[in-house]
Amino acid sequence: MQGEKEKSAKNRVLVIGAGVGGMRAALDLAEAGRSVVLIDKAHSIGGLMTQLDRTFPTNNCDVCTLSPSLSESGRQLDIELMTSTEVVELKGQAGDFSVRLSTQPRHIDLEKCTACGDCLAGFPECVRFTPGLDPRAPTCMRYPQATPYAFSIDLSRCQDVDELVKICKAGAIIPNDRPRSVQVNVGSIVVAAGAQLFDPGKLEVFGHGRFPNVVTSMEYERILSASGPTRGALVRPSDSKRPARIAWIQCVGSRGLQKGANPYCSSACCMYALKEAIVTKERFFKDIQTTIFYMDMRTSGKDYELYYQRAVREYGIRFVRSRPHTIDQDPVTKDLHIAYMPVGGDALREETFDMVVLSTGFQISSDLQELAGRLGIQLNANHFVLGDAFNQVATSKPGIYTCGLFESPKDIPETMVQASAAASNASIHLDPDARIPVDRQEFPPERDVSGEEPRVGVFVCDCEFNIGGVVDVNDVVKSFEGLPQVVVSKMIGHGCSRESLETLRRSIEENKLNRVVVGACSPRSHEPLFQDTLRRAGLNKYLLEMANIRDQGTWVHMDRPAEAAQKVKTLLRMAVARVRLARPLRDHVAPMNRNVLVVGGGVSGMSAALNLAELGFKVTLAEKTGQLGGVAKIISRTLEGADVKAWFEELVRKTTSHRNIEVLTHCSIVDHCGTAGMFTTGLQVGGEYRKVDHGVTILATGAVPNRPDEYLLGKHQAVMTQLDLDGFLEKNAAAVKGWQNVVMIQCVGSRVPENPNCSRVCCQAAVKNALRILEVNPEAMIYVLYRDMRTHGFQEEYYTKARERGVVFVQYEPETKPSVQSNGNGRLTVRFRDPILGRDLILEADCLALSTGFVGNAETVRELASVFHLPTTDDSYFLETHVKLRPVDMSVTGFFIAGTAHAPKTIAESVAQAQAAVGRAQTLLSSETINLGASVAKVEREKCAACLICVRACPFQVPYINAEGYSEIDPARCQGCGICASECPAKAIQLLQYEDDQIMAELEGLFERV
Amino acid sequence: MENFEPVVVAFACHYCAYTAADMAGTKRLSYPPNVKIIRVPCTGKVDMLHIMKAFEKGADGVCVAACLDGDCHFRTGNVRAASHVDAVRKLLDEIGVGGERLEMVALSAGMGERFAQIATEITEKIRKLGPSPVRKVSVAAGAA
Repeated sequence: MQGEKEKSAKNRVLVIGAGVGGMRAALDLAEAGRSVVLIDKAHSIGGLMTQLDRTFPTNNCDVCTLSPSLSESGRQLDIELMTSTEVVELKGQAGDFSVRLSTQPRHIDLEKCTACGDCLAGFPECVRFTPGLDPRAPTCMRYPQATPYAFSIDLSRCQDVDELVKICKAGAIIPNDRPRSVQVNVGSIVVAAGAQLFDPGKLEVFGHGRFPNVVTSMEYERILSASGPTRGALVRPSDSKRPARIAWIQCVGSRGLQKGANPYCSSACCMYALKEAIVTKERFFKDIQTTIFYMDMRTSGKDYELYYQRAVREYGIRFVRSRPHTIDQDPVTKDLHIAYMPVGGDALREETFDMVVLSTGFQISSDLQELAGRLGIQLNANHFVLGDAFNQVATSKPGIYTCGLFESPKDIPETMVQASAAASNASIHLDPDARIPVDRQEFPPERDVSGEEPRVGVFVCDCEFNIGGVVDVNDVVKSFEGLPQVVVSKMIGHGCSRESLETLRRSIEENKLNRVVVGACSPRSHEPLFQDTLRRAGLNKYLLEMANIRDQGTWVHMDRPAEAAQKVKTLLRMAVARVRLARPLRDHVAPMNRNVLVVGGGVSGMSAALNLAELGFKVTLAEKTGQLGGVAKIISRTLEGADVKAWFEELVRKTTSHRNIEVLTHCSIVDHCGTAGMFTTGLQVGGEYRKVDHGVTILATGAVPNRPDEYLLGKHQAVMTQLDLDGFLEKNAAAVKGWQNVVMIQCVGSRVPENPNCSRVCCQAAVKNALRILEVNPEAMIYVLYRDMRTHGFQEEYYTKARERGVVFVQYEPETKPSVQSNGNGRLTVRFRDPILGRDLILEADCLALSTGFVGNAETVRELASVFHLPTTDDSYFLETHVKLRPVDMSVTGFFIAGTAHAPKTIAESVAQAQAAVGRAQTLLSSETINLGASVAKVEREKCAACLICVRACPFQVPYINAEGYSEIDPARCQGCGICASECPAKAIQLLQYEDDQIMAELEGLFERV
Repeated sequence: MENFEPVVVAFACHYCAYTAADMAGTKRLSYPPNVKIIRVPCTGKVDMLHIMKAFEKGADGVCVAACLDGDCHFRTGNVRAASHVDAVRKLLDEIGVGGERLEMVALSAGMGERFAQIATEITEKIRKLGPSPVRKVSVAAGAA
């Protein structure tokens, strides 16, 4: 093993931690032609996410969304995965690190282990682990789709080692396995080490550990999970009965609410509590009463507010704004009594529940603090990685980057963004010429199936409850047995897991299949994965047909399972009929254009451009207005006190002076064509029209500061937005000294029917400005009228500070909005209701600051969506392809989103997303060629009458009549729409992959009588 | 015809309508299972023959689901599809099947709700129209 470690540091990155963040970073790097060493302390990869049951907002099963990534991790990319491995020592500097790694013994030979489970059956005490609820702790297959797909043994728990060795038929158990140590040389490091969950045992008042029916949110996830201790049955631990009343208590161990709690907000808990409550209703019983005790609902991510509203309106989840005092247990029934003081109430109330879920947050373990010590990176007071004010993923040590929970508490989409951002930053320290092109994957040669009778295999995925919970997959599978040309019909549990893909591959080989139908989710997301499996089995990838029985089947017909089963069978019949006529096809390739067009010259656009330029790519940065800037131009300081102006000016300077960046101002997008890797976009630059060829497009067009016509905004000089106030404080500090009362109103124009989402940045902006006013004028009285204070993560500490300094925070509901009147002497009269006193208060204010937030850049977004053919949300933001796992990718390959064009966010968050877009873009840009697919039009020359109809019909002017007198279509230029094929009167043109007989066969399949 | 369950074939373009249908799934929006989707790269690929074949085989209704106006991934595919649909509707009227059984709809990739709504409305509309006359003939022929 030593010899191989000599690999050059010039193209190598060490990724520490193989949770979702680490995996994303490793994949982005490897797909960009980098060599990656991915290590994890645990025995299998996946981190915390693999223990979750489902994730919001799609309420999808996590393992299903994640396992394609896991399988990807196991593909032929240059990723060396080392589990049970830690960093012992780090030497060197950015560009040339030398790291010593130590690997604990697994006692299993990964090459030999087939994961048959015999050892588990014989010695459950040393080979099993159900996270959270299983006290038999150590090792092993942490979840059924674990990677590496092999067991691991804790020898110290084994009574009879000889017997254990004997039980393994594969001879994979190595009793004398020893720790190993290796040295690796890398150019940069990504620390994605995650975090630990807060242990509520410390908080006696909640009785966790003493009362069996008080569980943590993670334990609740495990109870809901099909691979959990109850096999997915919702029962409470004390008596295995179905609970009728479940309560969630928020902020357990977060926001300094209890003794021993952490001072920060853990950011993810509000959303996961909502999800758990919704899933409880959706998947189990609608009549279960679900109550969430909370302080502020912090649903400030993209479309999260809509999810919250659904929880209230559609699912009838009850919300109680209160901080429960204690939980007591009935000694006989083990029911739980929660004592709490309702807002505005005058006496303690008590309610009884069958189960209580504690929404516990994140914290950093001492292990991670030691790791940071060994790496030489600084931590903040809460032991999270100390970052840069404007670059979240940078650490105090050049060449080392971070992402995910170790950086700050956050949810999965933010982790994914940071992971891709860390990947792009880490690449800067590598040699751009050392990339290994990844477009040449090694597959076995394709078997020639011409002349063979179709031998169809039908494989139906149960997708856990997603399909299997609605229809009887075994019955579906049976109905295809023995049909003409159907050789195999079987169910594959978790079709996209590594194990199932391997089963599929073997089944293809063993049964000499030459056509494959997979009934599962949408081909839009999973076709490439199954096509890969066909290739590995030596079949051409176009001999696959997917039936979309989940997204267009069980998910939409959950309420009528019998009809859903009928439809699932029909969709599969259609796929079988169609696949019989499938033919092996060749993909067409073209050279990759490595230039990038970045649209929008704000902070996000400039950051993306600079990062790309540093990586050696040429960038055209198109800005609509006369100068670079965007909203950040008018912000002076961040909440943390960093100087935005100085940083911004430096960013502009670097952007305009970089030799790889061409900045075009007064530039608008006129037209666009091509596919990823060979786009051509027409630009109007000043008075001149020009065309730009590029391989990738990044959209960073921003959002617009909202200015709703409310509370006398624009009609009274004392009324301003938080952005205005920021500027005012910078220029007119003297005026502030005379202020007695300042009122701030939150959620003005956000979380309202016209703009239903939260603007995310306003709560911290209000806290920032309040603290700044007090710096100048400590005597000022500041009232912040809010709906929910959403100061997530470390922003919470500034919110606490503001309260300590005397800022008064008063909660209001949309029904009892404050009212504002001019009182004629330059001041304002503000009337609002104090919910604690239960009466109206009237104040004379010198300044009224409105937190108006952002709205989508409707006009620009509409224009660009139309030119580029991109999807958008209803509130004029660009729509990403997967809200959770692909937050910067768009559904059209080659397009990425950065900054507030995606959703409202802070400057540092926008920069992270811009870098993430680069991290994702470089996976395309480092290929030498682009794959144009096989779906191109083909002319049968004997039938062609050279009538010119195709020549006129083609939107891309591809067909022409050649010298031999028939229509010719260049496959490299054909876009694959098939318009010519449907227009051709002689039916001389066929669109490969969508040939007429295939579509006809699909119709036959639909109407086949069974 | 008490228990008449119409069969509706929807030709959906990959980039918009098909994605919208997936979106309906992601959002768990329920709609009648009568609608069965055939995926095409672009509605411009939907041949008049395909639509006619669907009716011949026994469809009670056909829907061509395209991108919004001006949003076609292939520029003009949805415009061409609209003209095909118009032509086939006339034909259907002439042969007594009824042009109202064929519909063209437009939606963007993000419109999951709209897809579910369209699927519900079309199913109800076709249910009211009753079984396609073609199907009656073939059923009668089968019985005879």
